[in-house]
Amino acid sequence: MKVATGGHKKIKDLHPHEAIAPGTGLCAGCGGLEGLRLGLKELGDDFLICNAAGCFTLLSVYPFTPLKGSWLYTTMGGPVPAAQGVRDALDIRMRYRGLEEKENLQVIVVAGDGSSNDIGFGASSAAIHRGLDFIYFCYDNEAYGNTGFQLSAASPFGSATQTTPSTYVHEAGTEINKKDLFEIWKAQKPAYLATVSPREPIDLSNKFARARALKGPRMFICMSPCPTGWGFEPKEAQLIAKLAVDTGIFPVKEYFEGEVTHTVRPRKRLPVEKFLERQKRFQHLFEPHRQEDVIRQIQKRVDEYWRNYE
Amino acid sequence: MWRIRIHGRGGQGIKTASQILGSAGFYSGFQAQDFPLYGAERRGAPVIAFTRISEDIILERGPISSPDIILIGDETLLNDPQSAPLCGAEPTTLIFVNSSHTPESLSQKFSLITANLNDLCLQHLNNRTVYSSALSAVGARLLGNIDLQDLLQAVEDELTPHGISSSALKGNLDLAREIFASLQPVDILRKEEKVLTAKSLVLPSQLPVVDGAPIILEPGNMALRKTGNWRVERPEIDYEKCNNCLICYARCPDGVIGIAPDGRPEIDYDHCKGCLICAQECPGHFIHTVREMGTFP
Repeated sequence: MKVATGGHKKIKDLHPHEAIAPGTGLCAGCGGLEGLRLGLKELGDDFLICNAAGCFTLLSVYPFTPLKGSWLYTTMGGPVPAAQGVRDALDIRMRYRGLEEKENLQVIVVAGDGSSNDIGFGASSAAIHRGLDFIYFCYDNEAYGNTGFQLSAASPFGSATQTTPSTYVHEAGTEINKKDLFEIWKAQKPAYLATVSPREPIDLSNKFARARALKGPRMFICMSPCPTGWGFEPKEAQLIAKLAVDTGIFPVKEYFEGEVTHTVRPRKRLPVEKFLERQKRFQHLFEPHRQEDVIRQIQKRVDEYWRNYE
Repeated sequence: MWRIRIHGRGGQGIKTASQILGSAGFYSGFQAQDFPLYGAERRGAPVIAFTRISEDIILERGPISSPDIILIGDETLLNDPQSAPLCGAEPTTLIFVNSSHTPESLSQKFSLITANLNDLCLQHLNNRTVYSSALSAVGARLLGNIDLQDLLQAVEDELTPHGISSSALKGNLDLAREIFASLQPVDILRKEEKVLTAKSLVLPSQLPVVDGAPIILEPGNMALRKTGNWRVERPEIDYEKCNNCLICYARCPDGVIGIAPDGRPEIDYDHCKGCLICAQECPGHFIHTVREMGTFP
C-alpha cells in the first residue's frame, strides 16, 4: 500500500510556519481557509498563488495581503492559464536569463469548486494533459459561495442552494448529483491527486509534504464546510467536516502511481442523516415532513461507493 | 420622508430587518424602499441596510447619509471606523442601540435609546444574535405610524421565504410583539426635503497600467487589519487545566492561536473572529466562551 507520508504522526509535528497572516475578510469558521492554511504550512513561502475569483478573492483585499508569498488574481476561468504563464516565465528566465534556482517558485492554483468544476474545468484538464508542473488546491464548499450560494456542479443531490431551493415542484432542492472531480482528474493520471479534510490535519500535512517533493500536476480537493452557505454555527465547522468523513460522504483518499488509497477510513460508517441534519441546506429533507426517498438515495450512493473499498 | 439606517454584522439579520420594516411601512399605507449595502465580506463583518418610508413617491436613491433613525444591532460597532454607525447623525437623529448600557453612559450627544435585545432574542428564538424581527419591531415602534398587525404580517411574509419552521416563526412574532409593546413612539423632527440636482458629468482620465494596477509589495500586511471586533463571544483558555495538546492551534482557520515559547497555546484577540471552533474542539473543554461587552466594558 502506497500511503503518503511526510513523517507527521501527531498534531505537534505540524509545521510551525504560518504562511497566511490573520486579518482576512473570509467568514469566521471557514473550512477552506483552514485547509489552505495547513497546506501552505508545508509549502513554505516560496510560492506564487494564482487565485481564481471566488470566496478566496477575499484573501487579499487591496492594499493588504495575508500571504508571505506572491499572489496573482485571475478571472474564474483563468487561474490555470495564469499558472502556465508564470511557470513558463520562471523556466525561461532560469534557463536563459540567469535566474537562480533558489529564486524558483512553487506555482499553486487556488480555486473554488465553481471554478474547478464549471468555468475553469477545461483549463485544468488541459494543464494535466500537458503535464504542467503545479499544485492545484480546490476548496470545495459545494456551491458558488461568494455570490450568495448558487448551484455549482459540485452541489450535492438533495441540497438547497439559492438557485435550487426546495419548492413544491422540486422538493429535493438540487436534483442532480455532484460531479466526481476526483474520478475525472484521476482518468488523466496526474502526478498526484488527493482529497483532504481540514479536520484531518496530519493526513493533510502529509499529503502536501509528499506533493511538494513531486513534479507535474498535483491536484487537491479540500472539503470546505461553509457556515454561511451550508447553514450551521461557525463553531461546528470541524464537527461537520468530521461527520462528512465518518458518514462516508467525503472519502479521504489519494491517487499515486495508478493506485487509489483511502488514507482515513471511517471505522464504522454513520448514517448520512448525522451529516445532513445539522445543516440548513438539508433541512427540507426533515421538515415539515421527512423526505425518506431522498435521504435513502443519498445513503444508497454512499453505500455503493464504499462497497468497492470495504 | 423618514430615513432609517440599520447597522449590524453579517449573519444577524440586518438586511431582513430593513425588508420587514419596509414591508410593514408599505402595509401601513406608505411608500417604502429597502436595500442592504455590504462588500464581499459577510458573516461577522459590518453590514448596513436602509429603509425609506414616505407618504409620497420616493425619488431618492442610494445610501442614506443623514438618517432620521439609526438602529444599531451590535454595540461593538459603535466605534468601528469601517462601519461608522453614527456617521451623518445630527442632534435630531434618533439612535437606538441594542445594549445593556443606559443611553447616558453611552453618550450625551445624541437622542439615544437602548434596550437589551439579546436576552429577548435568546428567550424567543433560542439565539441571541439574530435581530431581524427585533430591530424591525424597534424601528416600526419608534416611527409610531406603523400598526402592530402590519408589522406582524411583514415579519411573517419576509421570514417565510427563508423556510423557517412554524415554531421559529411564532417565536419571531412573539418577539416582535413584545418589543413593540415595550417601547414608545418618539416624535421625530423631520428634515426639509433636499432639492435633488444632478452633478455635471466628469470624464475619467486614464492612467498607465503600472500606476493603475493594484500591486502590493508588503508581504503579510493583512495583519494590520484587526478582525477582533467581529467577535460576539470570546474564547478564553483555562491555563490551569490546559495540557498543551495544541488541538486548538491546529483547528483555528485563521491561524490566530500561536504557540508561546513555553509550549502553551495563545489566542491573538486582535484578530480572533470568534468562530469558537477552538472551544468546540478542545478535548477537555478547557476553553470557555465569554460574551464580548464590546467597546464599553
